[in-house]
Amino acid sequence: MAEFIIEAVKVSKNFGGLKAVNEVDLQISKGSIYSIIGPNGAGKTTLFNCISGFYTPETGDILYYGTPIQGMPTDFIASQGISRTYQNVRLFGSLTAMENVLIGLHNKLQSNWLDAVVHSPRFARENTWSMQEAVRLLDFVGLKGYGDFLASNLPYGLQRRLEIARALANNPRLLLLDEPTAGMNIQETTDITQFVRRLRDELEITIILIEHDMKVVMGISDRISVLDYGMKIAEGTPDEIQSNTRVIEAYLGPGGAALAEKYRTQRQKNNA
Amino acid sequence: MNKDIIRASSRKGLIFGIVMIFLVLINFHIMAATMISKLLGTNVLRGSFPEVRFMIIFLVLYGLWVGWSAVSREGTATGKLFEGLIAGITTGALVALFGLILFYLLETQTDVRRYLTNLSFPSINIFLLGLNGVGIPVHLGLFTLTGLVGASLKVGIRSQLFTRTVQNIKSFVNNLKLRITSLLPAYVHKYGKYFFYLVMLFLLFLLPSRWGAYNNFVFGMVGLYVILGIGLNIMLGLSGQFMIGIAALFAMGAYSVALLNSPIPHGVMLGFWPSLVVGMLVAVLGGLLLGLPIMRLRGDYLAIVTLAFGEIIRILLNSDLLTDFTGGPRGIQNIQQPTFLARPFNDVSYAYLIIIAMAVSIFLYYRLENSRTGRAWLSIKEDTLVARATGVDVQKYKLLALCVGAAFAGLAGGIFAARNQFTGPNDHTLMVSINVLSVVIVGGMNSIPGIILGSFALRGLPELLRELETYRLLVFGALLVFMMIVRPEGLWPSSRPDLEEKGSIGLQENIETEGKEGRGNG
Repeated sequence: MAEFIIEAVKVSKNFGGLKAVNEVDLQISKGSIYSIIGPNGAGKTTLFNCISGFYTPETGDILYYGTPIQGMPTDFIASQGISRTYQNVRLFGSLTAMENVLIGLHNKLQSNWLDAVVHSPRFARENTWSMQEAVRLLDFVGLKGYGDFLASNLPYGLQRRLEIARALANNPRLLLLDEPTAGMNIQETTDITQFVRRLRDELEITIILIEHDMKVVMGISDRISVLDYGMKIAEGTPDEIQSNTRVIEAYLGPGGAALAEKYRTQRQKNNA
Repeated sequence: MNKDIIRASSRKGLIFGIVMIFLVLINFHIMAATMISKLLGTNVLRGSFPEVRFMIIFLVLYGLWVGWSAVSREGTATGKLFEGLIAGITTGALVALFGLILFYLLETQTDVRRYLTNLSFPSINIFLLGLNGVGIPVHLGLFTLTGLVGASLKVGIRSQLFTRTVQNIKSFVNNLKLRITSLLPAYVHKYGKYFFYLVMLFLLFLLPSRWGAYNNFVFGMVGLYVILGIGLNIMLGLSGQFMIGIAALFAMGAYSVALLNSPIPHGVMLGFWPSLVVGMLVAVLGGLLLGLPIMRLRGDYLAIVTLAFGEIIRILLNSDLLTDFTGGPRGIQNIQQPTFLARPFNDVSYAYLIIIAMAVSIFLYYRLENSRTGRAWLSIKEDTLVARATGVDVQKYKLLALCVGAAFAGLAGGIFAARNQFTGPNDHTLMVSINVLSVVIVGGMNSIPGIILGSFALRGLPELLRELETYRLLVFGALLVFMMIVRPEGLWPSSRPDLEEKGSIGLQENIETEGKEGRGNG
């Protein structure tokens, strides 16, 4: 049990008649990079929303270090060390980058409004510490010098990084990244990929990744799950997933596997 | 080409003409003339009418505006003048036509005030510039002329010669400024800000005792609205809760002080200072009770519920149900005046009290805004869902914002009641809530200078120009629409603090001190 940081046991979430997530099982071991892929509308983001507490699954359990967390308040789940980013960047747009990170640090600070009013020693201590920590985090994600920019004024790639910085401020043990390379060019995608690997290696954060870019997914994932119509249709290492018939058919439609096989042999022939 | 110009300009002129007709129908021309008259130093007694020459000034200004706005972006200078001329003629023709009807009414002495309340004979007479029938062609000529002049003004200001002249003057002034500041010693640069504050403080200290009771009253009203505005800003600007019922919290503060310091109905006579604290606590309790059921509401729904809350409190105060307890519609009279060091309060001491309360409110606001609490509020306003996923306990912070804001409202209410020596249900109408909302929005959300500016603009000016009072709703509406178009972020928009340097400097120092300590130990 304990080697899994997070487990989903037969998790289902319905919207009206639509089964967005249907009895999905996941077991994600500590320190891994785990990818969830699938066609659009497969229920990947819904699964993320269930884990981070935006939705309460109808049935099933989500176990974090063996304790069920489904149905808990979102802010409680965040305080337990689960951070996330969003498919469409969701920053606090009219606040500066520094303030965004400082809000990310919310859980790690204790001073309340009274401290702020009287400037108690605790407030002073936490204030200097949090400022330094925020600068350090901005530096870590490569946003040094952008701290006083309004978040909405940053270029798109930097907004993505800022979102990760905000998530990291929470000192997470589990980080949910929802399409971190969406809308990026090849160079930016490579940067983000390396950055994600660095997060795992340097900060020892377990990462769950939703991603459409197969190069990224196959490059950095330890294990991959494939969702289609809310159901998990395959799980395994990148190599296993690449040769899985059901996965190929989910992406290319019925008969897709044969098509892919034909394409592959043709390419091998050409190469030869 | 020419046809298009004529069509477009005459359409503009038509709109201006129709607006003018409506302004006359609601008697706005008399008010405008009265205000111009007052601004130029000729007082107009209440109930009497301004002189005709001020009416002419109003019409000329309006005509200039017509010509000004008729000028389009493209085209030659003569084309633009032509546009102004056409617009002026159209407006003039329409107004003259309207004048003809009014003249007919005047001649036949037909009283239409049953249908159009404001259309009295003296009003018509002044609109026709006291010239009766001759006024009609005068209108036509006047608008044609001013339309042309307005257009040429715009053409002149847009011309290169003018912009170059303005630039020259600007650079000259800047040079002069630089030369003067370079002459000043360095400490002026460094401490100039504090010097400014000191002067402000001195003025605030000196003015209340010098400028008379009426100005003190107006200034106090502005100050109370600043406090109310800060309270509302904590709810609306920081935590993003659309609260319209702040008058209810204001009433709680006011009634607490009133009930605890008046011989009728209870005769408690607790004294001003403790009852002010009680008033704030009651308001906080009110905010808390209001907050609990509305936690899940957002946006429009929240606005409707808080609006209803404000009205419920007012109607309760007005009802027979509570007459024995709160004095009902008559309100509470003879509120005992506070004393400070055994000296009773007069208008000057109230001005000081309000200045101090305002200063404390501003101080508290700044401390709260730039803290973990303030940032949590801001995050809730920006994106509640993300704030929650970042670890902010949204409910707790929303309630906290309501309570803190309510405390400010209670404070303002308490001072308000004591200063007026009276408070009744009519002091706490929906209009109060809307006024405060306008102060915050017109001034600029999350910006203290903006709120102060807004209070002066919306509370101070109407007090000083009493004529506007009757048109306050109209002016509010117009001003709000105008603001939303021209300055959607308020008169003095807020800006976010620069924090990165603060953090970086701290980091460097830390590294340095750590290094020193390390060396010391070694």
